[in-house]
Amino acid sequence: MKKDLTNVRNIGISAHIDSGKTTLTERILFYTQRIHAIHEVRGKDGVGATMDSMELEKERGITIQSAATYCTWKDCDINIIDTPGHVDFTIEVERALRVLDGAVLILCSVGGVQSQSITVNRQMTRYKVPRIAFINKCDRTGANPFRVTQQLRDKLDLNAVMLQLPIGLESDLAGMIDLVSMKAIYFDGDQGDQIRHAEIPAELKDEADAKREELLDAVSMFSDELMEAMLEEGEIPEAMIHDAIRKGTLSLELTPVMIGSAYKNKGVQLLLDAVTAYLPCPTDVENTALDLDRNESEVVVSNNPADPLVALAFKLEDGRYGQLTYIRTYQGVIQKGDTIINSRTGKKAKVGRLVRMHANEMEEIEGTGSGDIVALFGIDCASGDTFCSPGLNWSMSSMHVPAPVISLAIRPVDNKAQINMSKALNRFTKEDPTFKTYVDHETNETIISGMGELHLEVYIERMKREYKAEVEVGAPQVAYRETVTQRAEFDYTHKKQTGGSGQYGRVAGFIEPLAEGEYEFVDQIVGGVIPREYIPSCDKGFQKSLEKGTLTGAPITGVRVTINDGSFHAVDSSDIAFQVAAINAFKQGYAKAAPVIMEPIMKVAVEGPSEFQGAVMGSLNQRRGVIIGTFEEGNYTVVEAEMPLAEMFGYSTTLRSLTQGKAEFTMEFATYKQVPKGVADELIKAFAAQKKDA
Amino acid sequence: MGYEPLIQQNPLRVLDMSRENNQMGLVMARAGLGKTALLVQIALDAILRGRRVIHVSIGESIDKTKKWYDDILASILQEHSVTRPHELIDMVARHRMIMTFKVAAFTRSRLEERLNDLVLQDIFRPNCLIVDGFDFEKADREALEDIKNLMENMGMQAWFSAICHRSDPRISPAGVPAPCHELDDLFDMIILLKPEHDATIQLDIIRNYGEQVTDGKGLRLDPTTMMVKEM
Repeated sequence: MKKDLTNVRNIGISAHIDSGKTTLTERILFYTQRIHAIHEVRGKDGVGATMDSMELEKERGITIQSAATYCTWKDCDINIIDTPGHVDFTIEVERALRVLDGAVLILCSVGGVQSQSITVNRQMTRYKVPRIAFINKCDRTGANPFRVTQQLRDKLDLNAVMLQLPIGLESDLAGMIDLVSMKAIYFDGDQGDQIRHAEIPAELKDEADAKREELLDAVSMFSDELMEAMLEEGEIPEAMIHDAIRKGTLSLELTPVMIGSAYKNKGVQLLLDAVTAYLPCPTDVENTALDLDRNESEVVVSNNPADPLVALAFKLEDGRYGQLTYIRTYQGVIQKGDTIINSRTGKKAKVGRLVRMHANEMEEIEGTGSGDIVALFGIDCASGDTFCSPGLNWSMSSMHVPAPVISLAIRPVDNKAQINMSKALNRFTKEDPTFKTYVDHETNETIISGMGELHLEVYIERMKREYKAEVEVGAPQVAYRETVTQRAEFDYTHKKQTGGSGQYGRVAGFIEPLAEGEYEFVDQIVGGVIPREYIPSCDKGFQKSLEKGTLTGAPITGVRVTINDGSFHAVDSSDIAFQVAAINAFKQGYAKAAPVIMEPIMKVAVEGPSEFQGAVMGSLNQRRGVIIGTFEEGNYTVVEAEMPLAEMFGYSTTLRSLTQGKAEFTMEFATYKQVPKGVADELIKAFAAQKKDA
Repeated sequence: MGYEPLIQQNPLRVLDMSRENNQMGLVMARAGLGKTALLVQIALDAILRGRRVIHVSIGESIDKTKKWYDDILASILQEHSVTRPHELIDMVARHRMIMTFKVAAFTRSRLEERLNDLVLQDIFRPNCLIVDGFDFEKADREALEDIKNLMENMGMQAWFSAICHRSDPRISPAGVPAPCHELDDLFDMIILLKPEHDATIQLDIIRNYGEQVTDGKGLRLDPTTMMVKEM
């Protein structure tokens, strides 16, 4: 067990889909001698990249789950989380960012800063993750790392500074000039593993000098020493520059830019050097937890191995070795045989096997120090849970979890599939907080909901492949909601006193819109007109009413219910009588409270060649979108719009045919908005017809 | 539309802005005095009057431009009570479109192409164009006349912002500083922002729809909210 935390890096690799992060991770594992052969993502050898251990990922060439992996580079332990590139899976990215100390933001030297990079960058800023940019694919036609660096400044608002200059570009990419050491660096050998330092080619000398000047100007802001050395115009020690870059990076005020081509084996080792030199170690970053025993007051975790353990379970995986729980320790140590407590459930657990993961292979270890990322076997928990030593009751601050916006019904084809399906669903909901499932009591269908079409598609595929659960899938449904827009009174008496034991309960009060939150119950009953024991019954009745609105059957949110009057019967009043009274009282009030339907609105960004801008805007406009704006640079355009999710089904096909496949779009949930009248009428009509049929 | 009080109470009413189309306006100031804030208020006033605005931002991002509108609108909502604020916010979003260009990408032909895209497909029919960040240092008279013609053809109003510099003493007879001193005849309305001793910023109205104005009308920008106020 290594104790020196300054030699530990927990880093994430995240980027736009297809900018090559899996390939880069693969190369990192190769150069750090974790794997001994390189497999391409869509390689002809059929093996697939090592990090893409899920079959589906290998087939689609995208990384769905962040596989954690460990390697060492020049005495430094590096834990890498490979994160998914598609926006539908951002919870994975966000979860990974939560436990990382630093990150590498990969950009394609041709595509540049695309909308997904903007999303990822925003997430990194939210979690205050220092980052290095790596401009990949410099060997591709149209590569322009200078343009991408400028985009980092313009679009992401980063103080991006190039640390290298390419020697040749596109197919002529030969190597790069290190602007700190002012040496040309080449990567010899079939797999680029022999690094050769040489003098800077004469024709690039002037450019290199100018770029170095730029670099020094930018980084001298972070080091007075360097500033002085520059003023004295003498030789500037390399270490001083590295130090200034590191300071700038850690303060999030500087983003060093590295370049290369992972596919052509160029620049990866230098990126690893940069990771160890500039990204923070666990003690450089301040992490906070909430002390549950002291009213959730914030406490700073110490990173000290001698302190009691605090660890966060950030990912669960159900693989061929059983359940694996990935944890990040923030202070204390964790060792085989230790007793740890889940602070959410209060349950004790004993640490059994402890492993370091390398994609889908693992290495058994005895214990680990603070600040490390390891995996545990046989621990029952949900992702996001905190584990502490007995005596400590802390929770790492809760993570931001967006609400699902799309749902679909699934039906198992046979009995066996039924059993496997419930196993799979149980696992997925534990793994992914944005994936939810429930049974619709009216139709008896199992409904799954999540963050987008692709998100659900992937889980259905996983169900089939990993759990052998064949399911029939219904059409995707938008997660509508209902809410009220004005205050309305209710006064309802539930009375059934004809023969046998009777039922009696009267509930009166009002419902009104609630600006923040989903539901609030206010009890203003005085004088015992409703006995104390039946107040919770009323609350329960109202909550039941919220499950299905009367307009479209969608859940009702944003409602405050206040009860201020009622009456009871000494014999006939009961829990159930007041529940029924509350349900009917709600119905009465709801109808008068001007209920409306709300729909999820997505923030959509379409990017592509400018010639298609008109067509793209037309297509968005037809789909009830509000175009926020357009951005043009050269021949490249981004159109940003707010679109109702209901109108976005099949948009990728439309977009492809409109733009000859040259444009792409991303979308993420923005907000809920009221459905326009015409559309609402349609929805209400359809719901009424559906109810009639049932 | 029910926003009549907001329109009537707007201090900008003293300016003759509700006249019909085809006019060109100019807001000039040194850097950082509030040109964009004023342009956004002019745009919001037009939107409240039921017009559609295209806001061209040269060298700025969509997000930053949108934030200006969000902030100014929030200030308006703070000062005036509006029964359904989210409806107003929605209405503004539907009546505004932001176009951002890289400095080099903005030309008359590009603008015309974009406007035609919108109008011909009936996506958005703008009445007012705001151009923030136009480089008057590099623009010649012809380029600006070109845009003025385009506006006339499309029946639109246009507002520009321009940066002037303390170090540049050139000034037109009407009092319009460089770099617009030789172009001032193209504009029907010209407002110069001047910092005052009390940290407010005076709106010096040099021209109000073709008529030269000798006195300003006592409008100021409140430095904390950047909102136009009558003094």
